[in-house]
Amino acid sequence: MYFLDAAINEASTSANYFPIGLQLLCAIGFVGLMMGLTHLLGPKRKTSDKLQNFESGIEAVGNARQPMAVKYFLVAILFVLFDVEVIFFYPYAVNFRQLGWSGFGALAMFVGFFLAGFYYIIKKGALQWED
Amino acid sequence: MNTIILSAIFGVVMMFSGIFIHNRSAYKSISSVALLLLLVLNITESQGSPLFHIDTTNFLHFDKFGLLFNSICIFSTLIYVMLSGRDIEKAGNNTAEAHALIFFVLCGIGIVTSYTNLLMLFIGIEILSIPLYILTGSDKKNLKGNEAALKYFLMGSFSTGIMLMGIAMLYGSGGTFMVENVVKNGIVSYLSALGMVLIFIALCFKVSAAPFHFWTPDVYDGAPAVITSFMATVVKVAGFAAFIRLIEGRLGSMGSQTDRLIAIVIILTLAFGNLTAVFQQSVKRMLAYSSIAQAGFMLFSLFAVNDAAKEGLLLYAAAYSLATIGIFAVLAKMDDMTLEGFNGLSKSQPLIAALLAIFLLSLAGIPLTAGFFAKFYMLSAVVKTGKYLGLVIIGVLFAAVSAYYYFKVIQAMYFKDGNIVLAPVTARFKYLLLFVAVLIVVLGVFPNALLSFLYF
Repeated sequence: MYFLDAAINEASTSANYFPIGLQLLCAIGFVGLMMGLTHLLGPKRKTSDKLQNFESGIEAVGNARQPMAVKYFLVAILFVLFDVEVIFFYPYAVNFRQLGWSGFGALAMFVGFFLAGFYYIIKKGALQWED
Repeated sequence: MNTIILSAIFGVVMMFSGIFIHNRSAYKSISSVALLLLLVLNITESQGSPLFHIDTTNFLHFDKFGLLFNSICIFSTLIYVMLSGRDIEKAGNNTAEAHALIFFVLCGIGIVTSYTNLLMLFIGIEILSIPLYILTGSDKKNLKGNEAALKYFLMGSFSTGIMLMGIAMLYGSGGTFMVENVVKNGIVSYLSALGMVLIFIALCFKVSAAPFHFWTPDVYDGAPAVITSFMATVVKVAGFAAFIRLIEGRLGSMGSQTDRLIAIVIILTLAFGNLTAVFQQSVKRMLAYSSIAQAGFMLFSLFAVNDAAKEGLLLYAAAYSLATIGIFAVLAKMDDMTLEGFNGLSKSQPLIAALLAIFLLSLAGIPLTAGFFAKFYMLSAVVKTGKYLGLVIIGVLFAAVSAYYYFKVIQAMYFKDGNIVLAPVTARFKYLLLFVAVLIVVLGVFPNALLSFLYF
C-alpha cells in the first residue's frame, strides 16, 4: 500500500498545485465570462411562446405534470440493475485464462446470486405489466 | 466472517420465505431461529473456530472486541425480533422483506466492527444505512414516515459523500487506505487532518452526535416505533464500534487539536440531547432526544480510547440497547405515545410498569442496573487519561438532568391515574420482558459477566 509514497512526497509541494489552481480559475472564469456575455449581448424578447416547454418543435399537448404508471420506473430500474452485471463480465472475459477455475467459480456464484434475484422479482410480480 | 457471510445469506432466505410462505406470523419464527444460529456461530468464531477461512489481510481483522460487539448486536436484534415481531407485521405490508433488511443491516454491522481499511468502513456504513432508509418508510400509507425516510435518505447521502471526500483526502495525504497513522517527521499534513475531520463529521452524523443530530428527532419520531427501536439501539451502537476503531487506529493523523474537538462534540451532544429531552411531551420523541444524550456518553469512549473505554463501550452498548428495546416494545403497544398515555400503567399492568421502571432506571444510570456501570466505566476511562477532568463533572451533571425526564415517565406510571389503552400482550411477551430486565440487573451487579468474553 505504500508504493505511492515516493510519488506523493514529490507531489506535495505547493508549487505542484499551481496547474490545478490555474485550471480552476480558467473553469470558473470561462463559465462566468460566457454567462455574462450572453446576458449582455443576447436580445431579450419575452413572449408567451418562448416560455412554453420545448417538445422537439411540435406544439405542446397537455400538462407535463401528469401521474405516470410507476411500472415504467420499476422496469427501468430493474433493467439498469441487470445491465450493470455486464460490467463484471468484461474484466472476467479479458482475464479468462489466468483466473482459471477459481475465477469461474467466483463468477458462477455471482451469476447464481443474480438469478436468485431475478427469480425473486418475477415471483414478486415486478415484471407483470397488466394489473 | 461468519456474521458477514451468513447474515447476507439469511437475508436472502428471508426474502424467499416471503415468496413461498404466506403465513405472516411464520416470518418472526424463521427470523428468530436464523438470528439464534447467527449468534451461536459468531460466538464460536470468537472462540477461535470460524466456518470460513478467507484471506482478508489489509481489509478486515476479526479481533475479540469486534466479535463481542457483533454478539451484542445480534443478541439485541434477537431480543428485538422476539419482542416486537408482531409490531413489525403491523408496520408495513412486506414483513418478510423487513426481516431481510434487518439481516442486511447486521451484515453491515459485521463489517464496521472489524474493518482495518477505510474502503471497508465505507462499504460497511453503506450496507448498514441503505436498508434503514427503506425500513424508515416501510409504512407506505404513513405520511410522516415517508417524510422521515426521504429526510433520512437525503441527509444520509450527504454524510456519505462527506465521508468519501475525507477518505480521498486521507489517501492523498498518506497513500494508504489502511487505518493506521501515517505521520512523517512528527508533522501532520493538512490533507490528513482535513480528511480525518471530514470522516469524523460523517460518523458523528451516523451516530447522531451534536451538532450533526438535527435529523434524529424527526426520523425517529416519523418512523414506525418498531423501526425506531432498531435504529436507535443496534445500529447506533454499531456506529460507535466503527468510530472507536477509526479513532484508535488513526488518532495521530488528526492533529494536536483532536482532544479539544472531541470534548466540544461531547459537551454539545450532552447539552442538546438532555436539555431538549426535558421539554418533550411525547415519550417517543423524548426517547429520540435521550438517544442523542446517551450517544454523548458513548462519545466519552472516543475521547479516552483506552482499554477501560473499550470495555465501557461494550457494556454501554449492551445496557443501552436492551433497555431501549424493552421500552420501545411496550411503547409500540400503546395507543397514546404522550406522557399522559402512561398515566396509571402500574394499576392495570403492574408487572410491565415495574419492568419499564427498571429499563428507565438503567438508562438514567441508577446503581444496580447495567446503565450505572456503563456510565461508570466511561467516566473512569476519561479519568484514567488525566486530560480534561472537567468533562467528567459535566457528564455527571447531565446524567443528573437525564434522571429528571426518565423519572417523569415513572412518576406518570405510578403516581397518576388514568385509563391506559394497551394492545393485548401475551404471557410470552411479559416473560421475555422480564428476562431482559433480569439481564440488565445481572449486568448491573456483575458487569464482568459480559466483559470476561473479551479476554477468554
